[in-house]
Amino acid sequence: MQPRDKYRIALLAAYALALNSFERLLPTPIPWLRLGLANLITLITLLLYGLRPALMVTLIRVILGSLFTGTFLGPSFVLSLGGGLTSTFAMGFALYAVQGLFGPVGLSIIGALFHNITQLFLAYFLFIQRFEAILLVTPAILLIGTLTGAVNGVIASILINNLKKPAKKIQNGN
Amino acid sequence: MSLKELLSSTTSADRFLFLLLLLLSLSGILFVKEVLPGGSTVQIEANGRPAYILPLDKDGTVTVEGPLGKTLIEIKNQRVRVADSPCSNKLCIEQGWVKSGTIICLPNRVVIRVGDHDKSTTVDATTG
Repeated sequence: MQPRDKYRIALLAAYALALNSFERLLPTPIPWLRLGLANLITLITLLLYGLRPALMVTLIRVILGSLFTGTFLGPSFVLSLGGGLTSTFAMGFALYAVQGLFGPVGLSIIGALFHNITQLFLAYFLFIQRFEAILLVTPAILLIGTLTGAVNGVIASILINNLKKPAKKIQNGN
Repeated sequence: MSLKELLSSTTSADRFLFLLLLLLSLSGILFVKEVLPGGSTVQIEANGRPAYILPLDKDGTVTVEGPLGKTLIEIKNQRVRVADSPCSNKLCIEQGWVKSGTIICLPNRVVIRVGDHDKSTTVDATTG
């Protein structure tokens, strides 16, 4: 891995951490409702640099984020680690296995979907073990996840378009 | 970014996936509402404050702290009872197993309500 790649990963992980912390401060009507802003950075990393950097950024974000909030190795750490990794793998798979089929919006929705499904599975097997309770919240969580995933995807595509612009200008200038 | 640009930046698979998931989750919400009629809950208040909201269909025991000491509440076979209480008259224990309604232990300030938690806030009837 080049030093430049390391700097990039560090910078992107820092962005993800900052967004993650910022997200915690936002008041939401339901306590577990998260906008998934950190997934935005994972998605952008995936689209610009590939799956491995995206996994690195996600891992750094989950581990450092849990250390900052004091939830390291706790239930919420297990949930966010599982959700973060599977959503990154799912987005990577959707990006590479069927190239060109999904844009940023579709990838973001897939990421949100897998994030939520993994967390529901983990919550069921590790903590709650009440099938009706999981069944009751699943559709609502999937609905919210689809909506926030779509919004994040739109933000990601705007960001990526803007990130590509200056590079083009320099190329044209030369 | 206008709506037109927004739509052109998504692939048709994106849009299809979005609509499919939206449809699935919305129908899922409706389905779950039909299938699960929201089981009864046990609401436990201690010292005038809500302490627990537990499902009636899950067996277990729970203790709450009142002014006199600890009250032991047991949930079993869709029923609830006070198993042990530090109060002097033990009326709450004598009331035995309760399927619906309330158990109140005044000396230890413990209130146990059994009922449909979700429907308790809905309107009884409306007139046109």
